[in-house]
This record gives sequence, C-alpha cells and structure tokens, in this order.
Amino acid sequence: MRERAVTVRNALGMHARAAARFVHAAGAFPCRVTVTREDRADRVVDGKSILGLLLLAAARGVTLRITADGAGEEEALRALCRLVDSGFEEAP
Amino acid sequence: MTRVPGLPVSPGVAWGPAALMLERHPVMRCGIAAANVERERGRLDRAREASATQLRAIHARVAQQAGADLASLFEAQLLMLDDDLLVPRARRIVESDRVNAEWALDRAFDQFCAVFADVGDDYLRERRGDVADVVGRLRRNLRPAGSGGGAPAALAAPAVLVADELAPSFAAQIDPAMILGVAFETGSRTHHSAILARSLGIPAVAGAALVTTYIRPGTLVLVDGDAGEVVIDPTPGVVEEARRRRDRRAAGAAPPRARPSGPVLTADGAAVRFLANIERLEEVEAARAAGAEGIGLFRSEFLLGGRAVDACDEEAQYGVYRDLVERMAPHAVTIRSFDIEESQASGRADAEPEAGSRARGPLGLRAIRLSLGHREAFETQLRALARASRHGSVRVLLPFVSSVDELRSARAALRSATHAVQGTGPELTAMPVGVMVEVPSAALTVDLLAAEADFFSIGTNDLIQFCLAVDRADRRVAGLFDPLHPAILRVIRQVVRLARPRGRPVAVCGEMAADPGALLLLLGLGVTEFSMSPAAIPEARDLVRRVTMGEVRRAAARALSLPTSLDIAALLAARFPALASWPLGRDGRPHMEGHS
Repeated sequence: MRERAVTVRNALGMHARAAARFVHAAGAFPCRVTVTREDRADRVVDGKSILGLLLLAAARGVTLRITADGAGEEEALRALCRLVDSGFEEAP
Repeated sequence: MTRVPGLPVSPGVAWGPAALMLERHPVMRCGIAAANVERERGRLDRAREASATQLRAIHARVAQQAGADLASLFEAQLLMLDDDLLVPRARRIVESDRVNAEWALDRAFDQFCAVFADVGDDYLRERRGDVADVVGRLRRNLRPAGSGGGAPAALAAPAVLVADELAPSFAAQIDPAMILGVAFETGSRTHHSAILARSLGIPAVAGAALVTTYIRPGTLVLVDGDAGEVVIDPTPGVVEEARRRRDRRAAGAAPPRARPSGPVLTADGAAVRFLANIERLEEVEAARAAGAEGIGLFRSEFLLGGRAVDACDEEAQYGVYRDLVERMAPHAVTIRSFDIEESQASGRADAEPEAGSRARGPLGLRAIRLSLGHREAFETQLRALARASRHGSVRVLLPFVSSVDELRSARAALRSATHAVQGTGPELTAMPVGVMVEVPSAALTVDLLAAEADFFSIGTNDLIQFCLAVDRADRRVAGLFDPLHPAILRVIRQVVRLARPRGRPVAVCGEMAADPGALLLLLGLGVTEFSMSPAAIPEARDLVRRVTMGEVRRAAARALSLPTSLDIAALLAARFPALASWPLGRDGRPHMEGHS
C-alpha cells in the first residue's frame, strides 16, 4: 500500500468533469484507490466513484491524500498525482 | 388567452399543442412484499439500462452538434449512473426498507445530498445539479410509458415542450424535428440548455413562471423567443401575427436584402440609432440585413460555451473578434467582456436546488468581478480585443461595474494588455471603454464614472431586477419584475442627465427597448441609441419614424408623474393608439395581464 499527497491547482477544483477524468484514470489500474482530504481525514472515498470524489468538495488549494493498494499501485499513484497536479488537464 | 412573461433565450416564434415534461413529480412511498423485492430491483436495473442508452445517444449527438467539450458533461453523467452510491445503494434500500424503486432512488439521492449539506460548501451545492439531472432521468425511466414523464424523443407529433426545469440532458434529448418550441419555468440565457436550443434553432423562453401549472397537455401554446413571452390559448389574431413574423424572418434569412442603413429619423427629423445585440458571428448577416448601425452588444461569453473563463485562448478570440469587426465594417462593434456567473465559470450543468429558488443569487461573483479576479484570462481577452482593433472599430463594454474603482482596475488591465500588444504590429489607437449600467450604484454615479468612461449602455434586465429587488429566477416574485415601474423611469432619466455634461452617449441594450411602448418612453427620456436583437430592429425603426420627439417627450414627462405602471401603460395606450395593433403585440401593458 502506498500513499501520496497532492494539491488541487485548477481554479474550479474537482468539478464533475474533472472527477470523471480521475475515475477514468483510476479505473485503468487494478489496485484499490481511495482518496481523502488532508484536512478532513474522516471521510475516505473510493477513487473510482465519481459521486464519492464530488463529496470531497475539493476546491482549489485542498490537499488530497491518495492511497493505492494492490497491483500497479505505484503507477496508479504516479498517474493520478500527475492528473491532479496538471489541473485535470485544464488550463490553470 | 393568457400571457406569461419570461426570458427570451432562443429567438423565433412557434406555436402548437403543448407536451408537458415534469421533472419534479412527487414520489410516493409504497411498502412492498418480500416477494416483490426482485421485481423492484429489476425496475431499477431496467431504468439504469434505459438511462445509459439515452445518455450515450445524447453524448454522441451533443458531441456532433455542439462539440466535445459540452458533450463531456454527459460522460460524467454516465459515470454517475454506474456509481455505487446511486443505483446499487437504491437496490440495497429496496431490500432493507421493503419499498418501491422510486422511493429507494429518492432516499439514495437524499443520503447523497445530506452529505453535501453536511460539508456546507457553497461550491459543492452546484455539483448536486449534475447528479440531480441523472436522478431525474432515472425517475422518468421508472415511470410507465405515457404517464407524462416520458422522454421528449418519444413524442408522436410535433409539439411545444413545456417543462418545469431546464436540465441539460433533457434539452439535449430534444429531437429538433418534433419540438416546435420550448417554454421552461426556470433557467437563464447562459444555461447549457438555452445554448443548445439556440444552436438547434428552436425558439425558447425560460423563466416563465408557473407555465406547467397553467398549461394542460394539448393546449395551444405560443412561444415567443424574441419578446420573451409564452402565450397560452392565443387568439387567432395573435397566431396570425406570429405566422407573419415567422414568414418575414424566413424571407429575411434568405439572401439578405440590402436595407437602408444609417440613422432613422423621427417624424420631426431627430436621429435615432439602432444597433444589434448578438452572441454569434453568424448573426452579423441578420444584423446588417436589419439595418443595424453596428453591434451594440456582442456577448463574448458565448465563446466559452459554458466552459471556464480561460477556455478560449487569445488566438481563438482574436479570430472571432477580427472577423466580427471586418464583417461589420465600417460600423463599430461593441464587445462586452465575459459576463458569466461563478457557477457558469465551472461549465457545469445548472439545476435549481429547490423549487424556484437559487443557491447562489445574482449578486455574487460574476462579470467584471470575476474578470478582475481572473486577471490572466481578462488580459487575454483584452489583448485579443486590442489586436482586433487594428482591423476596425472596437469598443470595450464592461459588465456589472458597481464603482469607479472597478472601472480603474479594468482600465489598468487594459493598459497592461495594450502594452503587451503594442510592439507586435501597427500602432494601436485607444479603444473606447464603456460601462454597462445595470447596478443601481453605477446608475447613481454615472457623473463620476463619466469622467473615466467613454460611453454607457443601460442593461435594463439587471437594472430592473436590482432596483426592484426582484430575482427573476424566483418564480414566487418574478411577477414583480416591471419595466414600467416609476422607479425605473426615474433611474433611466437620471442616468441620461448625469452623462450629459460630459457628452457621454447613453444607449439601452436590454430587452426593454424591444417593447414598443417602452421604446417610446425611453426615447422621450432622452435615449437615442438602442441595441436589440436583429429580429426586433425593423419594427422598432418603423415605429420611431411615426412619432415626433415632441410627443414622446411630453408622454415621458407625464409618465414620470404617474404613480403606478398601470397608469403609465394606460397613458401610452391613450397617446399612441398605434401601439395596440403593433406587430410585436407588446404595447407596454403590465406583463402579468390576463394571468389569472
């Protein structure tokens, strides 16, 4: 099991389409992916659930803690952190 | 016959039998026997299947007709449909609570919303709209066929769609061949659904209060997407007039006949200018054909198509602005900087959180406030405008300005943008910078703004809504929206007077100017420049030619002393009998007339 922190950078935060990109990216790996907010560790959501991700209310500036467990966990973490870090491939 | 006012969100006029589409059906709780748990789960599964098929079709259609960006929203909806928190949770509730599928689905959605409420983040409440759209679709698919909630695509004959909400997937499902026009109780011009209706060329009116209550299926309904009005049970005369207007438009849409451009003269020789409000490049031809002396308002936010403020880069914007300026030459083109709300900045689907109310009112982070907060995106737009100004006459219009400070900040951004462009080509001449007068604080300080602004444009919709403290999206008070309210006349007179000492031109670019009675009042109050949708210009020109400045001034002076809008409407009807039969059929009478 591995874990990494990454901060949401794009202006609009993790809105529906950004969350959809995250789910698509996470779904490409067999490992289990969970996400939580650094400041609200009590709520842990499935990284492959768009509704779960929306519940995090991850606006710009929120730091997310992504955990991957299972086959491909390192690759999954790298890809997901890159996605968040790039502002979900939107303009900044 | 009953007239219901609304917002014109897609131009044109259409009439036909009504088909009702209700999103907000009450849901009944029914206890079920253990033996029926599987049956109810099966219904949920089938509704999910049907919803997935519809969403995939919608996605494909929108991608083809409106582009991949608008379509990606439906990819997100497909993911929501398959999310464990929705249908699978509802399946579990069917079993644990022994309830019907509809009730279980509602509980699953409630549980989801409860977590949202718990987070208490404003930002989040907006995301709920997307989920609500998916849940609404599932709900419709749970309903037996023919119960009034069916998909609009399933209509047997062409009809006018009358709906309570304006969910984007709902609008995207419209088969243009079957839908003559659309009337919605909620929504606004920049909703995804309104944009879709326009791109499909379907006349539409949004914010038409209580239409689903007043209209029965099959009732004859007329949707006037030019004036912003829904007419229930129109008289044959009204339909005939609409038919003439439609035919005229069809004729005008064919090779544009050269119409005399240039100022229109009143019967006593005073010059009045008519300009066009447009939002797409293709509308330039219609504007020219209608005799517009320029573009008084280009709604640049439509370049974003509901996407984020930085979604359209400098080159793309420059291309459109340059095209616009060249095609409109030698006339000036007034381009308004992005007028979007924070919620639209996210490019999300919009849905009202509850009946007739909004999570975020019209007083939030929007227009110039948003631009000044997204300085980079703002300067990108200003650079594109500065470059376009090398090819013709460009005027910059700032929306929602509420103080001189904002005007100064915007001017500073413009200086910086101009500086960046300066060295890259021919010398730039300064673009005139104008202020939209739509916030009462701007209206009251036009003299101060006039020292630093080159022109003014009164946006009547917002100005009326803020002066009268009426949120038009709230159907419970929308009826109080009243362009002829004595306060509105006084505010407009004040703006004209305050701008005069410095000789700053004042135009009116709201819907109010497209109303013949209001047009004459505005003329009498000293406004001599009007910007309106191209379709409304020919009739407005004809009207102005028939009156003298003397008579409209006297009427306006008298109107300023009258206590109510009913008195003012009566005065107009008495002084200008021609208004009663005027083609637009909106003679300035109080707009709730007949709405009983």
